[in-house]
Amino acid sequence: MTRIFFATDVHGSEVCWKKFINAGKFYQAEVLILGGDITGKALVPIVSIPGKKYKVSFLEQQMTIKEGQLEEIESLIRNRGYYPLVVSEEEYQELCRDQALVKKRFEELVLQTAEKWLEYAEARLKEWGIDCYICPGNDDMFEVDEVFKKGERVKVAEGKVVEINHRWLMVSTGWTNPTPWQTYRECSEEELHVKLENIVQQLDTSLEYAIFNFHAPPYQSGLDEAPELDAMLRPKYAGRSLVPVGSKAVRVIVEKYQPPLGLFGHIHEGKGIKRLGKTLCINPGSSYEQGILLGCLIDLDDTGIKKYLLTSG
Amino acid sequence: MAETTVFVRKASGLVRAWSLFDGFIYAFFSVNLITLGLYIFAFAPFFPEAHLVPAIIISSLFIIGEIIVYSMLISIMPRAGGDYVWQSRVLGGGLGFVLSMTGWVFILWHWVPVYGNILSYEVLSPLALWLASWTQNKGFIDLALWFIDKNGLFFSSLIVIILAFVFVGLGMKTYARIQKFCFYVGMGGLLISIIMLLSADKAAFINNFNSFAASMFQVDANLYQKILEQAKSAGYTPVAWNQMSVVAGLPLIPLVLFWNLWPNWGATLYGEVQGATEFKRNFWSMMGGLLVAVILALLLLALFAKTFGWEFYLAVNSVFFGGESPLPIFPYPGLFIALLSSNPLWQLIILLSLSMWFFGWCGTVFLSSTRVIFAAAFDRVLPEWVAHVSPRTRVPFNALLLMAIPATIISILYSYLPGFSTYTLDTTVVIAITYLGTTIAGILLPYRDKALFASSPVSRYKVGTVPVISIAGVIFAAFLAWNIYKWATDSTYGVNNPVSAIYMLILYLIAITIYVVSKWLRRKQGIDLEMVYRNIPVE
Repeated sequence: MTRIFFATDVHGSEVCWKKFINAGKFYQAEVLILGGDITGKALVPIVSIPGKKYKVSFLEQQMTIKEGQLEEIESLIRNRGYYPLVVSEEEYQELCRDQALVKKRFEELVLQTAEKWLEYAEARLKEWGIDCYICPGNDDMFEVDEVFKKGERVKVAEGKVVEINHRWLMVSTGWTNPTPWQTYRECSEEELHVKLENIVQQLDTSLEYAIFNFHAPPYQSGLDEAPELDAMLRPKYAGRSLVPVGSKAVRVIVEKYQPPLGLFGHIHEGKGIKRLGKTLCINPGSSYEQGILLGCLIDLDDTGIKKYLLTSG
Repeated sequence: MAETTVFVRKASGLVRAWSLFDGFIYAFFSVNLITLGLYIFAFAPFFPEAHLVPAIIISSLFIIGEIIVYSMLISIMPRAGGDYVWQSRVLGGGLGFVLSMTGWVFILWHWVPVYGNILSYEVLSPLALWLASWTQNKGFIDLALWFIDKNGLFFSSLIVIILAFVFVGLGMKTYARIQKFCFYVGMGGLLISIIMLLSADKAAFINNFNSFAASMFQVDANLYQKILEQAKSAGYTPVAWNQMSVVAGLPLIPLVLFWNLWPNWGATLYGEVQGATEFKRNFWSMMGGLLVAVILALLLLALFAKTFGWEFYLAVNSVFFGGESPLPIFPYPGLFIALLSSNPLWQLIILLSLSMWFFGWCGTVFLSSTRVIFAAAFDRVLPEWVAHVSPRTRVPFNALLLMAIPATIISILYSYLPGFSTYTLDTTVVIAITYLGTTIAGILLPYRDKALFASSPVSRYKVGTVPVISIAGVIFAAFLAWNIYKWATDSTYGVNNPVSAIYMLILYLIAITIYVVSKWLRRKQGIDLEMVYRNIPVE
């Protein structure tokens, strides 16, 4: 029997990444799988001011902190999924004026953090003998793949067939159907359908022991319910009106090939387990901002899926 | 010193803050003045020494503590399932399941006949009377009386079950729209009612009331006076409108809670919605709902005192619940307001628009319950099939049936088993105990999960070194404990008889049994339920 632990959408939260890496040992899982959206969304400038103090906007407030508190604040920012950046007042003003500079600093921080995360993971996973597959999602810039490809225990699974054990195989992609935010890895449903077909076609054996690890959940599966947004991207009805935003192409592919297990993410609010035909579809959701790692433990053997359990660690 | 900003890059889920007004509507409808409020206020004569106004004000001040605790918990841990998830995380899975299943699932089966009662008393019976008045067909009077008889009450409970089933089945997108429509129409009706109450004088009301009652029920030509005399001869002397002492408010607080304890009703629905972590937005949504409901309640009661007469308003309820009222229908203030006009169309507009307060509200009886059922199923405590959603219609049939079938049985017992209706008074007691569990979780959270608390936007709210969530929690917990004590020791509230206590304990026992059996079964399957909420240590 092989136990896998699946989590997704850590969105730059350092504590969630560390929990993910430690989850293998904690839950006694042999294989770790991380769905897409690994990197963070926001850069939090910490502006130095006279008197060895800093000002920062964080957790809905403007704070002035002393030098001794700097490390703690940086850690809180990282754990919430943002990138802290200590700058002078002049550098901060320059960032406010220059979008290209913000983009450049963002890329630098995303890649530096990825390097650091990889180093953290490799040291532990080697010691514990645990395999880890990651598949960057629509929010992750393509350069991130190159960083993680340097790993030995951490392997990038995008577009590949990987062996989970002697029997179970997994195909993965972080590409999604279009979102209102025009992110890195999104395309039309037609293009996504072609991509998914090409990926699945690589499985030259039976699909009896296949895992589809696709970032976008199937359309109208209940795992894809997100707040309905107005034209200004504000949730309607205080976020209580939920609409399906998953991928129709993913649904078609899942229903066509009916693998026993489908792992999805992308929609943080869509936490749940659903069956589409013979496929057990899982979206563990995400609570990265709170530093809570939502995930799913799944035991696989030669007869199929033995058991599963959603976790909140 | 200029404020700094945060730079964001293109990434999914970056949304703007949701409208405060939309959040307010849900909280405002949960503290539902026209349906639940007017129904609960009608029981005030059971405490002749007490006054509604101070009871409403004092209880609402303490409920601010509840709003602080819940809005902070949403901010710290926004989760679909609300109470269940917070309690499970802080107090443990077993306690979380038992308190939430009883408070949010079992007890809401018992809310259905209460909703049914309100539908009969405040919507169907008054509309049938209006038809009788308009058509001069006496058959509609029989219909109005049938609605408040046991068969009619059961019928209304079935309507509630069907409506709640349909509203939840239609999905949140449609239900949110229905609710907003009902809010606007209902508020329009309330505004018209206030204007009519302001402009009418007492003599006109007495005249219209007497002639309406005489034509409908062939009763005394001066029924108004007769009701006052009958209440007095039965020994009922209410506290005068202008005698609003704090002491006079205390006995009614445990009763008023049946109406105003619910501004947090939407807490189970927030899920992991982006922006839900914003404390101030959550706080003001709920606070606005409570505040506006309280202001309107005080205004309406003052207008009732002016136009109907305070003594009459209380006396007519007193004789109705005394079982010997010469007015054979529930003394619904909405109907009294409609009688201020002699125009049938205006009367219908008032009755229909005020009924929107019921239709916008009744879906809530199943909505939160289905979320708790889903959360427990995802944790594998309940079986997977209860969270099944039809792939074609997207309706959670099984979770809804889990609410609808027991609710139907309870409704039958409520209507046809003498004495069973007393147990439905437990509805608020059991939910209050669930809220107490969540409040204790809120008090302890900053100390039991320091990292989680420190990473939340509400960690900065402290008095000295003590987090505000813990302070507000202690105040609200003490308030709840006082109310639970009053319910348990004062027979006037109708819930302290031994059979009622045993009934409550059976509900808890059922939840404990489900949890223990589930845990045992899962262990046999090799699944450790304790694993669900265990924090992953970081090396």
